[in-house]
Amino acid sequence: MKIEHFLEKNEIREVTIFKQLILNGGRLSYMDMLDYLKVAKASLDNDLDSISARIGSLSEQVNIYYDGQTISLKMDDDYSLQQIYHLYLSQSVKVKLINFLFKYQEFSIMQLTEELAISDSSLFRKIKELNSYLKEFGIKIRNGQLHGEELQIRYFYFQFYNYIENKEVFTDLHSDKQITQAVQAVENFLKVTIEPENRQRLAIWMIISKNRVNCKDKKYQHLHKQMQTYLEDPLYQKIRIMVLRYFSRYSIEVDEEEAMLHFAFLLAFSILTEHEFHEYTLMRDRRAPIASLDTYIVETIIIHYKFRRLPYMLERDMFYHLSHIHTKLYFFKGDIEVYEYEEMLAKEKQFTGRNLVSFAHTLLTTTTDKFMIIEDKENSLLKMELLKYISLLAIVTFKMTTIVQIGIDLKMETIYTETLNQMLMLNMRHINGIKVETYQPDKEYDLILTNERPSQKVQYGDAKVYVLSEILSSFDLKNIQSIIQELNS
Amino acid sequence: MKVVIIGASFAGVAAALEVRNKHLDAEIILLEKKSALGYIPNGLHLYWEKRIDNLESAYFITKEELENQNIHCNLKSSVEKIDTVKKEVHYLCDEQEETITYDKLIIATGSSQLSQKISGSDGEHVLKYKGRYEAEAAIEKVESSESVTIIGGGQVGVEAADLLNKQQKQVTLIESMDYVLFKYFDKDMIQPLQKKMLADGINLRLQQTVSSIEETDNQQVRIQLKKETVKSDAVVLGVNVRPDLHFLDEHVQLHMDQTIAVDRYMRTSAEDVFAVGDCIQLNFGEESEMVYIPLVNNAVRSGIVAAANLNQPKVPFKGSLRTIGTSAFGYYIASTGMTEAESLFTNQTIKTSRQEMCLTSLPDASTVMMKWIYDADSHILLGAQMLSNANILEKINTLALAIQTKQTLEDLQQKDYFFHPSFSPMISTTNFVPWQEMRDDVNEN
Repeated sequence: MKIEHFLEKNEIREVTIFKQLILNGGRLSYMDMLDYLKVAKASLDNDLDSISARIGSLSEQVNIYYDGQTISLKMDDDYSLQQIYHLYLSQSVKVKLINFLFKYQEFSIMQLTEELAISDSSLFRKIKELNSYLKEFGIKIRNGQLHGEELQIRYFYFQFYNYIENKEVFTDLHSDKQITQAVQAVENFLKVTIEPENRQRLAIWMIISKNRVNCKDKKYQHLHKQMQTYLEDPLYQKIRIMVLRYFSRYSIEVDEEEAMLHFAFLLAFSILTEHEFHEYTLMRDRRAPIASLDTYIVETIIIHYKFRRLPYMLERDMFYHLSHIHTKLYFFKGDIEVYEYEEMLAKEKQFTGRNLVSFAHTLLTTTTDKFMIIEDKENSLLKMELLKYISLLAIVTFKMTTIVQIGIDLKMETIYTETLNQMLMLNMRHINGIKVETYQPDKEYDLILTNERPSQKVQYGDAKVYVLSEILSSFDLKNIQSIIQELNS
Repeated sequence: MKVVIIGASFAGVAAALEVRNKHLDAEIILLEKKSALGYIPNGLHLYWEKRIDNLESAYFITKEELENQNIHCNLKSSVEKIDTVKKEVHYLCDEQEETITYDKLIIATGSSQLSQKISGSDGEHVLKYKGRYEAEAAIEKVESSESVTIIGGGQVGVEAADLLNKQQKQVTLIESMDYVLFKYFDKDMIQPLQKKMLADGINLRLQQTVSSIEETDNQQVRIQLKKETVKSDAVVLGVNVRPDLHFLDEHVQLHMDQTIAVDRYMRTSAEDVFAVGDCIQLNFGEESEMVYIPLVNNAVRSGIVAAANLNQPKVPFKGSLRTIGTSAFGYYIASTGMTEAESLFTNQTIKTSRQEMCLTSLPDASTVMMKWIYDADSHILLGAQMLSNANILEKINTLALAIQTKQTLEDLQQKDYFFHPSFSPMISTTNFVPWQEMRDDVNEN
């Protein structure tokens, strides 16, 4: 599911206009915009009018100008595209519908048409559209209620209130003493410290849980199945005690599964710090599905890159991130694509190279095979988790790249050497994993760049020596790059 | 002024008596769905303990006594709907629809043992005994049973386990938490009693939840746990009680747990409508924290407070400390205020201290194990627990008062007391004793 799915076609176009302006330095010619949007003039004119009307009240902070030729954007420093999205989303009928559903849990068609001021038929159409996007979450709106596995319903609301709605407004509106207490209880019972940002996420989860706890006929089939190997898990046991004790203070007969929902959430959404997670890994059952997959994937990465030994903290970090990816894939279905998948992928490819992306695909396939998840190209969760695998691999390769020490030893008059040294260094700046400096005789180097063949090779110790044919020539630079690559592998 | 009170158990009766006390000319009507009023909810335990000969004696008040006070009692009157705008109560009396208007309405409908999660828990083979007739059915069923399973290890469940065990029944007790009586006691304090339960042959199943109860062909009951089943001749439901408030209209606001939201004057969100007893949440202590504490003591006190505030908010409810006292398996146990385990729900830094104290100055004196829970900085007492072979129950009331009046441990050391070697030790047990040699146990943290 994408953020755009909550908007109407014309609204998506309007947001795209903003986005294009941002990508093009704030200015784009009218014709280029027409080309990009592939629409008729009349429709672009309409869009521009509609934008003006919509941002009218915000003219101090954000404005779009059109002088007959060029469209330009002016935006305050503290305003961003994200707020433009929120502006559109806050007026979206679909967003209002989900909010209404969250608040009342059940609606009649009459109630909702009145509340949203739309006709029966357009309400049905919106519900139908929403249902087509909710499908990947395994939930749907039927008879005025959200149906599906309880974990999936809460997870969808969580993503919705985190990314679609304004989370600050949501938490301010719903946070009361009970919520703060529940968050505090998690810290106290689990003996952990929760970072401020995670505290807010946990608060959102608790608000949703509080709202849902009294719903009747909740479904837990998938959760039950997945939890079978975790019933004795030490973290789950602690959460269970906390949940039972918490609800014993109210007139609520709580489901045993309530604790299971919190367990899945706490582990998948990195609420624990790395240190606390590590403490947990020391106690968890290593043969349970998530832990054993974590280990398997770490080993696969180590073997793939032929790492002899990983730094201890890097390995812990890998387990930390992998466990979140795997817990999410193990318990949850569907996602809201917060990042533009294609754009992120393109950026990551540029930064990390193709090999890494294809290796990340292999890892994802391993995981989906082990967890028996059907690999569906449209599944946003798989896309988002693939991006996470790529990022993790990028972190690992980056941290494991040995820095090639390069010394420049030009035999010329000093006035030239200094300038040429600087220019050489500037030219090589874009190459990852190197450190270039003017040669110092008492230091050790992996590579020496010089302009004269050394008379005595021993002079540079074990360092490889490259003799520049023509300083700053592309021929030399290309050769140097391949030597660095060789040294790096 | 016409005051209608729905429900004639402790809360409703207390409210009625206090309305009469405060407003001599008020017309007071009590609507009670059962055919009798004033039954003591654990009358069955009194009977099993042989404290009373029959359930007829398990009443704290009668209709006649109330009517002598000019309180009208409409029995067999089951409320179907209230209209807080028109100020009407619609109820069924002998299957006849009736409507009564009110100037002030007090909702005191109490609670019952219900479980929506355990399938089959509403069946006839499941014994509940908050009401008189349910209790009579339970007596009959238990007499013909050899084995009884109790669901829920709270006060009712543990007392029932003891009483049924004394009747030579094979007792299984199922509790979802990792120890019994967890609402009132910390795990360390209740261990002696729990060990005694096991020694007495109770089949104690901790950390187990029941998913269903079914009757088998041979008149037995099959109780389904997570991975196994338990079979017995009878099953007793001792789970948390819950209110039934289906008759409310939309103007009466509810809490998350479907109890009625009231302010400290017992006023609901609807004008001239009050709620008391087991259908509301109460302030836990003086704090603004609201908790569901369905105890008779709270029912009576909240009933009195509502009656005092009918015309104007005058008397705020002082809060509940969830004070309890009971005896089972040879121990007297009592608790008031916050437990150490429960303190994890607060921001408060607490300290605890456990002491074993002599009860008299005689050589064969019994002892009491005490646990004090207090604020780490101010030393204000927040909670106390007691366990003894001797009857120390009344002492908990002293400590409840100490918490209610915000006494510090240092204040308690100065508390005045009588000394008599036959009846008291050198220092009263409820005066916090800081001396090492006076106690067996040291500070916990």
